[in-house]
Amino acid sequence: MHRRGLLKGALSTVTALAMPQVARGQASRKLSLLTWNIADQEQLFKEEFADFQKAYPGTEIEWLDKKGTELAAFYQTQLVAGTAPDVVDLQGAIWVEYAANGALLDLTPYLQAEPEFVRLFNGDYLASWRYDGKNYMLPFYIAKTLLYYNKGMFKEAGIFGPPQSFDELLAFAQKMALAEKTGFLTLNFDWLYWPLFKMNGVDLLTPDLKKAAFNTPQAIDVLARLAAATGSGAINKISWTGRWVEPNGAFASNTVGMLHAHSSSYFFVKGQGPWINADTLGVAHAPGFWATPTNHGFGISKSSKNPDLAWAFVKHLTGNRWATEFSRRRKLLTGNIAADTDGLALLRKDDPVAAQVLQTQLEHTDKFCGNWPLPFDAQLKDAFYPEIQNAALGRKDAKSALNDAERAVNRLLSRRS
Amino acid sequence: MRIRSALPIWCFLAPSLVIFLLYRVLPLAWNLVLSFQDWSPLKAARWVGLSQYEEMLFDDEVFWQALWNTVFFIASAPIAVLLALGLALLVNADIRGRNIYRTIIFISYPLMTVAVAIIWRWMFEERVGLINYVARSLDLVTQPIPFLNSFQWALPSVIAANTWQMLGFYMIILLTGLQNIPENLYEAAAIDGASARRRFWRITVPLLKPSLFLCFVVGMLNSFTSFDLVYVMTGGGPGRATELLVTYIYKLGFVQTRFDYAAAVTVFYFALLVAITWSANRLSGGNAGAVERD
Repeated sequence: MHRRGLLKGALSTVTALAMPQVARGQASRKLSLLTWNIADQEQLFKEEFADFQKAYPGTEIEWLDKKGTELAAFYQTQLVAGTAPDVVDLQGAIWVEYAANGALLDLTPYLQAEPEFVRLFNGDYLASWRYDGKNYMLPFYIAKTLLYYNKGMFKEAGIFGPPQSFDELLAFAQKMALAEKTGFLTLNFDWLYWPLFKMNGVDLLTPDLKKAAFNTPQAIDVLARLAAATGSGAINKISWTGRWVEPNGAFASNTVGMLHAHSSSYFFVKGQGPWINADTLGVAHAPGFWATPTNHGFGISKSSKNPDLAWAFVKHLTGNRWATEFSRRRKLLTGNIAADTDGLALLRKDDPVAAQVLQTQLEHTDKFCGNWPLPFDAQLKDAFYPEIQNAALGRKDAKSALNDAERAVNRLLSRRS
Repeated sequence: MRIRSALPIWCFLAPSLVIFLLYRVLPLAWNLVLSFQDWSPLKAARWVGLSQYEEMLFDDEVFWQALWNTVFFIASAPIAVLLALGLALLVNADIRGRNIYRTIIFISYPLMTVAVAIIWRWMFEERVGLINYVARSLDLVTQPIPFLNSFQWALPSVIAANTWQMLGFYMIILLTGLQNIPENLYEAAAIDGASARRRFWRITVPLLKPSLFLCFVVGMLNSFTSFDLVYVMTGGGPGRATELLVTYIYKLGFVQTRFDYAAAVTVFYFALLVAITWSANRLSGGNAGAVERD
């Protein structure tokens, strides 16, 4: 009996040692989740974790939340240290770099194995997480640009309804630009201003993403007109210099006619602008229906010791039940069709303007722009955008600025290829 | 015997030396190695020799713009020191309430730099900022000045905010220096018929030289590391108007994930810092920071 016990012990030790490291990790049932500046949802996450732990007893979940400015640096250091969180919430195009460099797990096999789960999501939003034919992320919460307009300022200027074209947008902005007031403002991070170019038929890159395609007479004309409108006060200068607080704050101060921003801006602006209600704030698509998405999604680190468990966890977080709860509590859209239908229905009763704002996020989702799946998106922005600023703020003429931007962008593209 | 007496000294020094080695020497050495490699957190390192430096010196306009802005920023340090000297002379004079004035001038220094940046961002705001409001109320300008949104005004505006914050610190250093000058030197000079101006140039300035030098060096080093102020006020923009080497290095590393190239720029930046500090030390007689033995 004693000998048998010894043999059993030896056998199990050998088995454990022979078991691949990943499989041993699976047995330990530990998961870590890194989210992006959403610490206010602690209660929701606690409930979600408890529910997951009921289905997967013995699973330990560690939750880390980092501010947007810290998350990328934190995640990179964890990748280098080999301790990357199993599940990570990433925003904008940052995920492409991680996916291209092998830091994220390809979720395509999981999605192919569960087509009914795929059908839970808005196809256009899900497709925006695709790189090199593979899907690396699932939508956590979604947003894209739209046009907010100040009905009071429109009325004062004798304008009715939102602009239907770029020409109208500039003309309306000019009419409202008086003294302290300006006509138009756009957010500019993450290519959020790109619909202004796209609505005029300007493309940033060639279809194969290998060369700059924006240095055209049409683009020069668009940029020159944006610069002229900025110089005259029709476009608020903060469009080209501010980031988040300044442009949204300016619109909230009731002195800007139109704001081109994504749906998240609504809640910031409403919090700061007591004038905002259904009678004073108009909501529309930008002319041409083009919009730049700025989504948050969940990916799984390739280094995860529990990839299957992590997948189950991501499914749990983005599935109907908890996505609906998230949509209801945070008043946003998740990309999960059922959750968004439910969240919107509730919002129509509670805050009709917010519901109108969010409704735009589900329309014309086939007209996304400014979301090129490039693993060096940050460098591309850095090569291109300063020249747009140079032109828009009158330091260079549009032609010279676009020439310089073309040189910088092509240099970057050739270096990266 | 000598070893026995030295051992406790090394034991006491060891924790600090270990920390210094781990957090200063090793990162510096690693940074130097990194600058010759092609590396990012997501891929293996590859030796590329001087190619990062080649790109920096011959192919990167932003680097030169950031270097120029940094030099401009450093060059503004003497202005702040001279302003502080004037204030120190004023609050050193026998005037009523001088302690209150000293406190008011000093109070900007202990403020968090991020808070200073936010305050000045609003002060410089084009439409609702206090400076434009006052300037327009007094009919000094017809159009508001787009301080932080303009290529001409952005860098001087950031320098003004930096000067405001550091002024109190310089003033206290210079005030201490002024108060250490023996009063009898001024009395003797006055008896010999020296004018106030002559007393200032012949007594105050020479005896204040160590304090002035300290302020210049602190000012230059502060200019080198004014990351938070620039980052919050302008983020380096508009365009590259306020991009400093330190903000550029941050963006290269943490926004563009180009740690290898950021390392090369950092090595250049470090060399520049050493050169400036060494030059300043030579100018001051070569013994700055030396501790006199009794």
